[in-house]
Amino acid sequence: MEAGYQIPRAALLWVLSAVTLVILPQIINLPAWLLLIALTCVVWRLLIFSGRLSYPGKLTRIVAVLFTLGVSVYQMRSLGIGLESAASLLTLGFVFKLIEMRYQRDIYVVLSLCFVMSMVAFLYSQSAVMTIYVSLCVTVIVGAMIAVNRSGQEASRKPTLRIATKIALQALPLTIVLFLLFPRIAPLWAVPVPTSGGTTGVTDEMSPGDLSQLGRSNELAFRVQFEDSPPPLHAELYWRGLVLEEFDGETWSRSRSRSSYGIASQLADFQWQWQDRITVQGEPLVYNVILEPTQQPWLYGLHLAEPETDNLFQSRNFEVFNSGLVSTRTSYDMRSFPNNQTDLILLDSARRRALQLPEQGNQRAKTFATELRAAENSEREYVYAVLAFFQQNPFFYTLNPALLSQDRVDDFLFNTQEGFCEHYASAFTFLMRAADIPARVVVGYHGAKYNRYEDFMMVYQYNAHAWSEVWLDGEGWVRVDPTGAVSPERIEQGVEAALADDPAFMEESLLAAVGLGGFNWINTLRLRLEAVEYEWNRRVVNYNEEQQFELFDELFGEIDDEKLISLLVLLAGAVVIGIGLTVIRRDGIQSRDSITQVYLKISGELARIGLPRLPGEGPLVYRDRVVSLRPDLDSAMNELTKLYVHLNYAQPRITAQTEKAYLKTMRARLRELRAALRRNDSYLSE
Amino acid sequence: MRSNATSLAGRWRHRAAKWMARRMPPRRKVTLKQRTIYVLPSRHGLLFLTANALVFIAAINYAVSLAFGLAFMMASLFILAIFHTFNNLNHLTVTAMPTDSVYCGEQIAFNIRISRSAEHSYESLELQFQDGIFDGGGASKRKNAIVRAELVENDQLEVRVFTRAVKRGECKAPYLRVTTYFPLGLVRAWSIVDLELYCLVYPKPIPFQMDQFTAGLSGNDDSAISIQGSEDFYGLRDYVPGDPLRQVAWKNVARGQGLQVKQFVDYVDSKVWLDWDMFFGFSIEERLSRLCYCVLQLSQRNTPFGMKLPGIEIPPGSGPEHRKKLLRTLALFGGK
Repeated sequence: MEAGYQIPRAALLWVLSAVTLVILPQIINLPAWLLLIALTCVVWRLLIFSGRLSYPGKLTRIVAVLFTLGVSVYQMRSLGIGLESAASLLTLGFVFKLIEMRYQRDIYVVLSLCFVMSMVAFLYSQSAVMTIYVSLCVTVIVGAMIAVNRSGQEASRKPTLRIATKIALQALPLTIVLFLLFPRIAPLWAVPVPTSGGTTGVTDEMSPGDLSQLGRSNELAFRVQFEDSPPPLHAELYWRGLVLEEFDGETWSRSRSRSSYGIASQLADFQWQWQDRITVQGEPLVYNVILEPTQQPWLYGLHLAEPETDNLFQSRNFEVFNSGLVSTRTSYDMRSFPNNQTDLILLDSARRRALQLPEQGNQRAKTFATELRAAENSEREYVYAVLAFFQQNPFFYTLNPALLSQDRVDDFLFNTQEGFCEHYASAFTFLMRAADIPARVVVGYHGAKYNRYEDFMMVYQYNAHAWSEVWLDGEGWVRVDPTGAVSPERIEQGVEAALADDPAFMEESLLAAVGLGGFNWINTLRLRLEAVEYEWNRRVVNYNEEQQFELFDELFGEIDDEKLISLLVLLAGAVVIGIGLTVIRRDGIQSRDSITQVYLKISGELARIGLPRLPGEGPLVYRDRVVSLRPDLDSAMNELTKLYVHLNYAQPRITAQTEKAYLKTMRARLRELRAALRRNDSYLSE
Repeated sequence: MRSNATSLAGRWRHRAAKWMARRMPPRRKVTLKQRTIYVLPSRHGLLFLTANALVFIAAINYAVSLAFGLAFMMASLFILAIFHTFNNLNHLTVTAMPTDSVYCGEQIAFNIRISRSAEHSYESLELQFQDGIFDGGGASKRKNAIVRAELVENDQLEVRVFTRAVKRGECKAPYLRVTTYFPLGLVRAWSIVDLELYCLVYPKPIPFQMDQFTAGLSGNDDSAISIQGSEDFYGLRDYVPGDPLRQVAWKNVARGQGLQVKQFVDYVDSKVWLDWDMFFGFSIEERLSRLCYCVLQLSQRNTPFGMKLPGIEIPPGSGPEHRKKLLRTLALFGGK
């Protein structure tokens, strides 16, 4: 049936545009050789199109299939069955199909795959820009479908793009209703998530240089919006992530021995304990955090954070964990009590963990600590003395510190004296432990950028920070930030102010200098765009079952699954009918029928007074006959006949709108005619 | 067991066909409406729906909000495709037009006018005859050619849709199927129209040596004349509008006798008769076919001739009208 089929030239260009558009977002994710193949295929197809190359022969096709199989086996071995391998296989099959695309069926295979490719793009990014881009892709794919189904080249018909845009826009209302109301189903099976770029953000190990690495990045870590209350002062914005208690002389790490990340069963039996371990005062801060994917399980919040969202857990050190890895942008609600005291009584096991130091190494620091402690009266005074030590010596806060040799703490404290926050936190905690004061390192972020357009805060990777917590008798765990002693601006104004002159700061970003002031309008624009992106994330990307219920609870009161589904059916049905009525043009036929009806009623009325319309009598002749016998009906008959004739025989055809107006007039005249007849009848009968 | 099942299916098919036939009695002019337009997903549409399901499952499994959005967009597009494709047939008017007669075995070109009102335009319509209400036999049967048409610029268009003439006589057009996939190709909308569309199918002419007949046909008996001939002057009559001016007797006009027309006649040989019995021993159709051939040959030579069939006798004559009459008689011979 399709033997003689030729893909219309216009259609082919549409299809190629669609293919190119959907592959483009994959460029950064796909290996280079694959892009090369894709490009070759598109060019090949263009050459077939212009008649300079022929379709691939059988041999080429077999080679292509074998190649695809080979690549799939290779990728499954090296990458595992994951999204990357699936995406590249999809692309491969897709572009190969492109060159052998010959019949309509092939085009539809390619176009259907285009939709799947657009979906893959969403797996990597769900930003507002990407959404606009994918909408463009969808419009072009629709355009390609239309072009495939058009044959001739009549000049007067509507352009393909216009129809495609119209159809895409018409599809929008139903899409929105479905998006809002369609029940979200829990994942059917576990899927590998995109791991491109690997883990980001703070890790559960901290060696010198780790955080300064993050300091070079201006990627977003998370966004925060405070509910009702104004956000705390900048100096108080310590986004607590992990507590690192183990030290091996070089690296601080989180003890993984007993309480593994977020294991619910373990957390359950200590749930009763922790209420006893804390005392809080004052109103809590309530806020929402949207965390960018980290591929790590832990979350960030202000100390002392209590998760409001389900399925989040607290560990014994009051860290907050997600139930799984944060692989997509995740939103969660928190309640924090800034005014808190924890662990007023320290358990022996906890004390042991918070005092552990390697036997060997850093002897000079240990001696220094012991001597200094002996000179001070209390533990608190000792803490101040150490901070004063940082302040009074020429310590330097920088992203590019000198490399440290064997005894890292010694070397840092007494030799190089330059470092980023992890150096200070590490050395400070070491000095505490060496003086027999329980202490631990906390990693997370400090500070934020406030977006006044949308009233939220943005925390970037360069906000990564490390500080210490020391346990003081009668006070519990107290946060101490040694970096503040060295660089007070860091704490009060933020890392931007502290490192403004440091060339390494945010060096990954070309816009870095611009982002830090200078060009004000660019800064404003950036803030505004980020505000849009924030709203987009909060309302669209993170739209899930919970938000679904929240939204409709507000509108319709208590809502359950059943109500939701009936609402869905009702609303979607209404939208479908609405769209159907706008799309399906109704013809003038109906009104034309009513015109005839009105006219028939006239002759019916007249027939009752003995003036029926004779068979074959034209309307004009009929009118003349009626008027000659009943001159009183002259004006009504005249107008009715004129309108009737005009409606039926006018060339060119009158518009639907005039038609309606005419019909209205005809009905009015009909009423007049009837009234006149009745008047006459009653007059006669009298 | 199996035959039982097929007969059941057959009966169902038959009943459905009767039901559909009731819905659309044959008419000269049919406007396609909701009642008679059927819409189903096309094969490409099923492919699209598969992709849609794929996107949806991925959206569920990766819990990607916007992938849900894309899946819903695809579903919405599909629903819109239903509306738009339906719209591309809705209110299309199909009118039967006069059709030229053909000889049996040739392709009949049925003339069909498709027209639209000002509000509509139609693209990528496919017109095709099909034998039953359902396309029936499928691949084994010969397919009628598909004719493509569109109504964008013009308000109406005459399309020639072909089917093969298989039987002599008055042939009623098969069911006409109007199909469209436009604009998205995801669904197929079609309507089956039973038009009062007839074509006269003449017998298939079978050539043979005609000498034996024509040899004996050349007598010259003056017994029969045919008015409206062209050879011999016969007389004058009053002019009737429409008469050729060449035949006006201008001399008489000059004499003041008014407009008069000269009449000419041909003298017809009464023996030029085509007779049913000349083809003794052939079957009815074969006789008709041969007679048909004779009619064609003789009318080419412009000799007046008549024809005798059982129960029918057509007096000799000539000219295209006469020829048409004879062929018509042959075509309808033996019919009701």
